[in-house]
Amino acid sequence: MSQRSLTLVGVAAVAALTLSACAGGGSASGGGGGGNALDVDLSSLATTTEPGTQPVAEVTWNLPYEPLSLDPMLTFNYAENTVDANLCEGLTRITPDLGIENALAESVETPDDTTYVYTLRAGTTFWDGTPVTADDVVYSLGRQVGAESATYWADYFQNVASVEKTGDMQVTVKMTQPDALFAQGMSSAAGAIVSKAAAEAAGEQFGTPQGGLMCTGPFQLDSWEPGKAITLVRNEAYWDQNLIPKVEKLSFSFIADESTAVNALRSGDVDGQFFYLPPAGLSQLQNSDATITFGESYIFWSLRAIQPEGTFSNPKVREALLAAIDQQAISEVVFQGASIPSPVLTGPAYYADDEAGALFQEAFDSYEVKPDIEKAKALLAEVGDVSEPIVLGVQGSSAVHEQTASLIQAAGQAIGLTIETKVIPVEQFGNLYFDETAREGLDGFFTTYYGNVTDPLDVYTTFMPDSSNNFIGYDGAAQELTEARQTLDPVERAEYTIAAQEKITRDLPWLPMGDLPVILVQNNAISGATASSAYLGYPWAATIGGVE
Amino acid sequence: MSIPAFLLRRTGSLLLVLLVTSFVVFGLMYLAPGSPLSFVLGPRGGTPEQIARVTEQYHLDDPFFVRYFAWLGDIVQGQLGDSIVYRQGVSDLIGGRIGTTVALIALAVIIIAIVGIGLGLLASLRGGWTDQIVTTLATLGLATPTFVIGVALISLFAVGLGWFPTNGSGGGGIDTLWHLALPAVALSVASAAYLARITRASVLEEEGREHVQTAVARGLRSSLIVRRHVLRNALIPITTVMGLTIATLIAGAVVVENVFALDGLGSLLVRAILQRDFAVVQAVILVLVVAFVVINAIVDFLYTLIDPRIQLGSTR
Repeated sequence: MSQRSLTLVGVAAVAALTLSACAGGGSASGGGGGGNALDVDLSSLATTTEPGTQPVAEVTWNLPYEPLSLDPMLTFNYAENTVDANLCEGLTRITPDLGIENALAESVETPDDTTYVYTLRAGTTFWDGTPVTADDVVYSLGRQVGAESATYWADYFQNVASVEKTGDMQVTVKMTQPDALFAQGMSSAAGAIVSKAAAEAAGEQFGTPQGGLMCTGPFQLDSWEPGKAITLVRNEAYWDQNLIPKVEKLSFSFIADESTAVNALRSGDVDGQFFYLPPAGLSQLQNSDATITFGESYIFWSLRAIQPEGTFSNPKVREALLAAIDQQAISEVVFQGASIPSPVLTGPAYYADDEAGALFQEAFDSYEVKPDIEKAKALLAEVGDVSEPIVLGVQGSSAVHEQTASLIQAAGQAIGLTIETKVIPVEQFGNLYFDETAREGLDGFFTTYYGNVTDPLDVYTTFMPDSSNNFIGYDGAAQELTEARQTLDPVERAEYTIAAQEKITRDLPWLPMGDLPVILVQNNAISGATASSAYLGYPWAATIGGVE
Repeated sequence: MSIPAFLLRRTGSLLLVLLVTSFVVFGLMYLAPGSPLSFVLGPRGGTPEQIARVTEQYHLDDPFFVRYFAWLGDIVQGQLGDSIVYRQGVSDLIGGRIGTTVALIALAVIIIAIVGIGLGLLASLRGGWTDQIVTTLATLGLATPTFVIGVALISLFAVGLGWFPTNGSGGGGIDTLWHLALPAVALSVASAAYLARITRASVLEEEGREHVQTAVARGLRSSLIVRRHVLRNALIPITTVMGLTIATLIAGAVVVENVFALDGLGSLLVRAILQRDFAVVQAVILVLVVAFVVINAIVDFLYTLIDPRIQLGSTR
């Protein structure tokens, strides 16, 4: 379960808008038309980019904001995970094509439904040269177990009974009940292994500029100058020969202002960045020395219902509104062509290439995404009085939020719903997730969200009644979700999950508004960064190299 | 007034201002909606147990006066406290950023002084077309928002011509100067325009004064008249404006630091306010207040150098 808000992106969007109007001069041509739709082939999204072959002395990568911490247990958002994915790794890890492979574990065994036995790979070391031991693993996972833990990944550890050393190179995790998400979740930063000695020595400071970090990844932390840069250098002793970086030094800048970031990419001051929403100036990059790659992604755009009362609390109203919304228009107008209409919250990126995945695809294909005004009106007619306005929270200075809201207002108007918007400053937007009083007076708000593994259940557990993201306490699919989570067989689990999806898609606690590809921008002098959502967990920079 | 007495009085009033400011800022932060909890607990919001633990750890539920006096006690002992959001000492956070802001403002002040006074003199002494052009430029400079100038400078000189970097504050020395050139220009345009107008006006005023007319009648060299009789008297308003300008630059730096992605105090302050990071907001505001008061004291001191008839600490 993960709620990724855009709250931390401090953006002066006024500047962004102004810039997109005035900075396109010079050689950029053809920008005269109204729509600046991007040239995206959404039917074949990338997972990797052509690996660069030449050694590179330094690559500068931009983050949308400065990380708050690099301790993997506290990394739960874009910038933090973008950095940590190159630094820290777990027993298993996500792959660019969104599968899972062994990393620090040589093997993972499941002798019964509630036991995981991890055998450590021999010869892996932390950056300081000390070997990775079972004690480090017990410490790294164990510190996240229990309600008192500060971990942001508590959801994956909720059913863990114990983490114990059962051999020199062996760690056994016992569950209180079968949990299909635990083993999968360990491929995210939740399962990252840190040095026990270093973490204990640094205490609360672990993962901050003062406390440093100690992990095993292909890059090691060189320095973190607060406000300025995080610098990584190549880990020469990395165990995986296929992922020894060609980049000697990888430094991160923190340009929050999107127009400044786009300009830095255009001028070559920054070599690359991952975007999760199309920035206003993205089309300017098409004529520059940078290449844009659209990647497979777990990220989706949605409208959440957040109140137990009011017009919008009625599932029929939500169904009618969704039927009136033209997702294709949202894609073209709001996302510059870079979003994929989707009838459900978890689109094809969440479907594995197996029997279970085929079942999900089949369910996906059974839905329509075309707007149907007549159906919407018929649905509303069943409801009765819908005169009370629906108030949607819109993140200030976000063009994506504001434009989506206007399209939805228009859709509402077409079927007789009054929809109002309330602008909430970008940095206060985060309070909506946490503070009930901040949500007062709002019926819904927009948000991006993403799961961490290729399993729709990872997203749908958000709709368990006790989930902290389930503001309306939606419980319509609790039974199916509970069964799914306890079912380790992927096909059987898919059946339960699809049953849950059916109900969630009918009741719409969140309205799906389209899937968003990863937007990877790389300077033409380099290539090789991972293009898929795996960049938040896989060492995406290890394959970057120079291009001749 | 003697210099020690002047310093003593200024320090006393500084402490008073700091106390009042800190109380007001703390009060406003306390009253404003929102909580640092959403940043401390991460985007997921946290379990009730975690919320309780963090609230306890940072005393977020304590009454206002308990929290304020605890903070005040720390300050008296030289402790600026810790940033809740960044889990770092506030002094570390500020220490890493103050250099950038000081360098940016210093560079901007130099540009403002040279360009502002230079153009003002040019306009007032040459008159005619030169005066027209300078006055028009100054009006334009005053009317254009800082971020528009910043964005235009980036488009033209960083992206278009590639002469300057688009962002960042560089690695020290010449590199920093190179990185800060465009931001400093963006920051100084409005103030330089204002100073040019003030300089022009006060020089014209002095030129019409009796003692200057007398000097002209005595047939003194015009360069000497300008330096000794005109400029010297015109310097008082110019110095006052320069002092006030530096104070406003601190506010302007917030915008410029954002546009050029500089690691300064301004960008730190904005983020800290929005994240409800009490200790950071308090500390940065205190630093800014100290800077403001010190600059004012320096301006007062400069008056006495420019015009010995003015007494230190007087209220002319």
